[in-house]
Amino acid sequence: MSQHARWRRRLSAPIVVGLVLLAAACGGNADKGGDKGAAASTKPIRIGASIPLTGQFSQQGKAAQEGYKVWQAMVNANGGLLGRQVELVIKDDASDQNTVVSDYNALISKDKVDLLIGTYSSLLNLPASAVAEKNKMLYIEPAGGAPKIFERGFQYLFFSQQATADKQGKSFAEWISSLPEDQRPKTAAYPTIDDPFVAPNVKGIRDVLEAAGVKTVYSTTYAVDLSNFDTIVSAMRSKQPDLVVHGAFFDDGVGMIRAMLKANFTPHWLYQTTAPSLGDEYAKAIGAENTQGIIFAISHAPQAKTPGNAEFVAKYGEMFSGLPPEDAADAFGAAEVLAAAVKAVGNTTDQKAMADWLRGNKVDTVLGTLSWDKDGRPQGEFLTGQWQNNKVEYILPQNFATTGQIVMGWEPGSKG
Amino acid sequence: MLGRVLVGVAALLLLVFPLLSDDAYYQNMVILSLVFAIAASGLNIIMGYAGYVSLGHGAFIGLGGYTIGVMATRFDTVSPWLWVPLAGVVTMVVAIGLGFVSLRSSGASFVIITVAFLFLAQVVAVNWVGLTGGSGGLTLPLPGWDASYLNWPFYYALLGLLVLQVALSWWVRRTKLGMGLVAIRGDESKAATIGINLPVQKIIGFAASSFLVGAGGAVYGYYLTFIDPRGMFGILLSVQIILSLLIGGSGTLWGPVFGAFLIEPLNEVANNQFGGGNIRLLLFGGLLALVVIVLPQGVLPAIEGLLLRRRTAGKAGLVGARIRTEGVSLESLTSRNAGTVETAAPHAILQVQDLSKRFGGLRAVDHCTFDVRQGSITGLIGPNGSGKTTVFNLIDNTMSANGGTITFDGHRIEGLPAWDRAHRGLGRTFQITRLFRDMTVLENVVAAQRAFSMSQLTHIAVSGPEAKAAEELLQFVGMRDFRDQKARALSYGQQKLVELAQVLMLDPKLILLDEPAGGINPVLIERMGDMIRELNSYGTTFLIVEHNMPFVLDLCERVHVLGRGATMATGTPEQIRSDPAVIDAYLGEDFELEPERVQ
Amino acid sequence: MTEFLQYLVLGLLVGGVYALVASGLSLVFGVMKIINIAHGAFLILGAFLAYTIWSRLDIDPLLGIVIILPVTFVIGWGIYWAAVRPVRSAPIASTVLLTFGIALVVEALMGFAWGNNATSIRPGYGSESFHLAGLYMPKAQVYGGLVAIGVLVALGLFLTRTWLGRAIRAAAINPTGAELIGIKVVTVSALVFGIGTAAAGAGGAIIGVLYSFVPGTHYVWIARLLAIVVLGGLGSLNGAMIGAVVFGLAETFTAAYVSPAWATAFPYLIVFAVLLIRPQGLMGSRLREDAVAT
Repeated sequence: MSQHARWRRRLSAPIVVGLVLLAAACGGNADKGGDKGAAASTKPIRIGASIPLTGQFSQQGKAAQEGYKVWQAMVNANGGLLGRQVELVIKDDASDQNTVVSDYNALISKDKVDLLIGTYSSLLNLPASAVAEKNKMLYIEPAGGAPKIFERGFQYLFFSQQATADKQGKSFAEWISSLPEDQRPKTAAYPTIDDPFVAPNVKGIRDVLEAAGVKTVYSTTYAVDLSNFDTIVSAMRSKQPDLVVHGAFFDDGVGMIRAMLKANFTPHWLYQTTAPSLGDEYAKAIGAENTQGIIFAISHAPQAKTPGNAEFVAKYGEMFSGLPPEDAADAFGAAEVLAAAVKAVGNTTDQKAMADWLRGNKVDTVLGTLSWDKDGRPQGEFLTGQWQNNKVEYILPQNFATTGQIVMGWEPGSKG
Repeated sequence: MLGRVLVGVAALLLLVFPLLSDDAYYQNMVILSLVFAIAASGLNIIMGYAGYVSLGHGAFIGLGGYTIGVMATRFDTVSPWLWVPLAGVVTMVVAIGLGFVSLRSSGASFVIITVAFLFLAQVVAVNWVGLTGGSGGLTLPLPGWDASYLNWPFYYALLGLLVLQVALSWWVRRTKLGMGLVAIRGDESKAATIGINLPVQKIIGFAASSFLVGAGGAVYGYYLTFIDPRGMFGILLSVQIILSLLIGGSGTLWGPVFGAFLIEPLNEVANNQFGGGNIRLLLFGGLLALVVIVLPQGVLPAIEGLLLRRRTAGKAGLVGARIRTEGVSLESLTSRNAGTVETAAPHAILQVQDLSKRFGGLRAVDHCTFDVRQGSITGLIGPNGSGKTTVFNLIDNTMSANGGTITFDGHRIEGLPAWDRAHRGLGRTFQITRLFRDMTVLENVVAAQRAFSMSQLTHIAVSGPEAKAAEELLQFVGMRDFRDQKARALSYGQQKLVELAQVLMLDPKLILLDEPAGGINPVLIERMGDMIRELNSYGTTFLIVEHNMPFVLDLCERVHVLGRGATMATGTPEQIRSDPAVIDAYLGEDFELEPERVQ
Repeated sequence: MTEFLQYLVLGLLVGGVYALVASGLSLVFGVMKIINIAHGAFLILGAFLAYTIWSRLDIDPLLGIVIILPVTFVIGWGIYWAAVRPVRSAPIASTVLLTFGIALVVEALMGFAWGNNATSIRPGYGSESFHLAGLYMPKAQVYGGLVAIGVLVALGLFLTRTWLGRAIRAAAINPTGAELIGIKVVTVSALVFGIGTAAAGAGGAIIGVLYSFVPGTHYVWIARLLAIVVLGGLGSLNGAMIGAVVFGLAETFTAAYVSPAWATAFPYLIVFAVLLIRPQGLMGSRLREDAVAT
């Protein structure tokens, strides 16, 4: 082609690239003047987070946002944190990992927030926590208990639920193991969705039960996009397990139950993760009459007598109406932990001191009293709940239980 | 000159940017843009040049990421940087595998295969838990170097890879390899007939399009420190790569880079400013649809086209000018063909024996037998539907025969692919010209590959000895002035001349001419005849299919007549002219050859 | 043995639904040589429409197909005129990219309209089954299969018995020839695109009862559908149906006897294998080798 056309073509590309970079450099430099730790004590404290408000985790993300907002409202009404009002800077990562990395980078260097707080789900918290760690900022995550997150030797990472995923079902498994011989299930099936939070959860339960002599007759890990459970249910039905431990989110939890009902397969005991904790929606989805006796574990209960819980539930009801979902409570709890660390250190800049303090101390939250090991793993116990008479009761641990009565097995079709 | 200065300025800006600003947000944006620029530029080689649309190119980023993830987690005492070149190699190997698959498919099925490949990669990553950590993914250690230049190594590594990728892209486009790839995009089976070894070229194209992308993917994975199936093999990654390529300008050098630096910030803005996943989908989807409908060439070529139209407005195009009809004799051709002029007794350079081809129940070629003597100009005539073009198609492997043998220069060739036959010295022009419409006249001629060797592919085609040889041939046929015109702008007669030059580039021993005199004016017909005679005097054999009887009978020393797929007569023009069977089937009772024209 | 029969029944039922959904895709390709990647998105759109009909108007989703068919037909017809017609003579790669873009746009719009949370349609019979000789046949699947067969039969009759159907087939075999005998190929193409979309919409209503879905579910479906039409032979309606049943069986048996994890990988392996071994699929035809490029 002719020389003219050639250089004109080359013109456009470098011009745009150049302009983009020039703009970026100028934009970046303009903010350089402002300093983070300025003494102005009337300046609000800015806490930044990127949450999945759209995409795969949008339902839980919205709940987390609500939790943070409730906390902000309560703190600001009580004079703020360290005498300063709290401002939330929240971005939407659309349940996408690249975006969550960009978002946290933006929060740190463009928005220049004082403090960070975590996002929802292990898959998002994994890369996001790396950004925080690289920048040596405290990172408290409300949801994302996959054991892998804590195996990297991070110094600034803390999980604000009671235990990591593999310990979530411990109470339940130990309770089952402790049942007298004639009541204890002899065989068990473990279908689970392929997720770094759910799968270790199920495995944790399975390890305890196998050690107690409960035989595993079926186990499978199914893909995240599987929606046809007939085959799995058929396979389980032929093995007739006494107990089914189903690692699920919401729609697959519902789907599996409906498939079981269709196939007339109802194991004596049914334990599910996540889905049963979603209240009325769950009951509507599988039919309220089928909920009786289903057991699950959860990090928070509105009725629990944990520190500050009543006020939290009331405030949530005032702002968003209804009872707070688990994810909102987890977010609230994370904010409480962050606030405790900030108060203990007395400023918002010494992130290392905050991390060290958390490692050596306990914090009271709506989830209970939390404490951590050197890698940021919390050392507590989850609540175990059960659907009884169309509502959720908490049966374990006994000191937080809302009822002493436990329904001995799944009884679908009995109530309604 | 100005263009080069601007490229230099942009490169300088990119180079010093991290030194000017330690804003991690913008550094992150540039890093991601670099990753996409590398990937789009790589994709450009197989999609922009060769025309193979791949919706799975993002998988190469993922493969790179997983290589560094797997190796770094297994050998944690070694620096992860060591695995970057390995990632490139692994990716290249997989890409070559995909390339082999592509050999059996094209167009629609190829696109489907690439999508299947991407999803399959994701499934394998999810299920091969022992290697990949399953859906939980792999985590890399945080970088151990000083926090004050946190992102620099990633930034500069990716910048370096981009420079390499663009350089590779530039170099490929200028070589015979690149010409071959673009020819494949234009017309794959025609490309085969001018000596382009299709499988090898495609495989090399795949390798070149993937190696640096895999390396880039590894750096990207290290930057993220977290590698999992969804992030590494998500379909939106591939969509963004394709979008960057299309918007920037597929097939151009800077298009993919420009597109990547346009789309990634747009992506960021959509996510951050307008909040959320659905906006991004709308944006990407809408842009993709819009680009395909409205601006299929991309932004850069559109700008270029606009500028070109403005510059040439009101001027007459070169294409309308009359072709020069005086010829230039081809000394250089003589020097190349010196060895083949023989004085031995005439022998058959081409022997067709019992050749047959059926289309369903129709026997287009039915046990056809004839031969062509070395150094002769032989004619092949017959009524419409007698199978002449089909015979040509069988000889040059545009179609495969159902039976019979073809012997060329002493070797049986009916089982050989088209390019092999071309390398042995067989050239063929087409009744409806088949030039590569998007290439210039010069590029069309240099695309022809005389022989096959890997080193030959690396020869620069757009300048140097190859280009010079092509120009000489163009001068011979009278089309040298048109060397920079796109082939699609030429008239039919001009295209025929260029096609002849293209075939001559192969240094052929035998040229099959399919209706060389058809559809062109009498002056050009005469020029054709002169050129054929001149080439024949240097030793090239010709087999000509023609309906123009004066032309054929004047030019040829021997003529075969085909009827209903079989040879019905053979002889000198005089014999044929008076053969009753031929007159009955074809020439007609009142056929009379015009008296010899006076020069 | 009962177990095997059970899986067989489940696989056949699933295959029937796949057949309905794949038929639209095959038809569009056969007539217009367009691989409509947006077909999966139209499927999910049908599911969402059925959901709205069921939750707002309290009409059974399978009956709601009567409303969904014309609505999705019009949408498909409109999209053809607006977006697809301009590129109908472009190389096939362009149409693939275009329809991919359309799929993303439709996904985004569905997200805006219905949100990204998992949705499913739960009529009463959704958790019930017919029981026969120790086997259970989920009612929703059976009803869905029957509806699928009904729509397919109607489609078949339309194509073979009506003038319009014959015009469609003519346009598919030889567009230029069809123009010459008075068939406006552009109008026919728009019609076919509309019909294909309507078939997807109907299929979507059934799918919505059987499985839960989000806007992003279309990826899973289009992968499956592409595998089916490739297996059956691009352009062959009968091939698509056979391919669908074979596919449903294969998926079910893989999930049962190998592992559910690999059941989702299956479509992609099929695509690879078929395109390598027999590129024209079970019932497709190869293009003429000497087709001259223009």
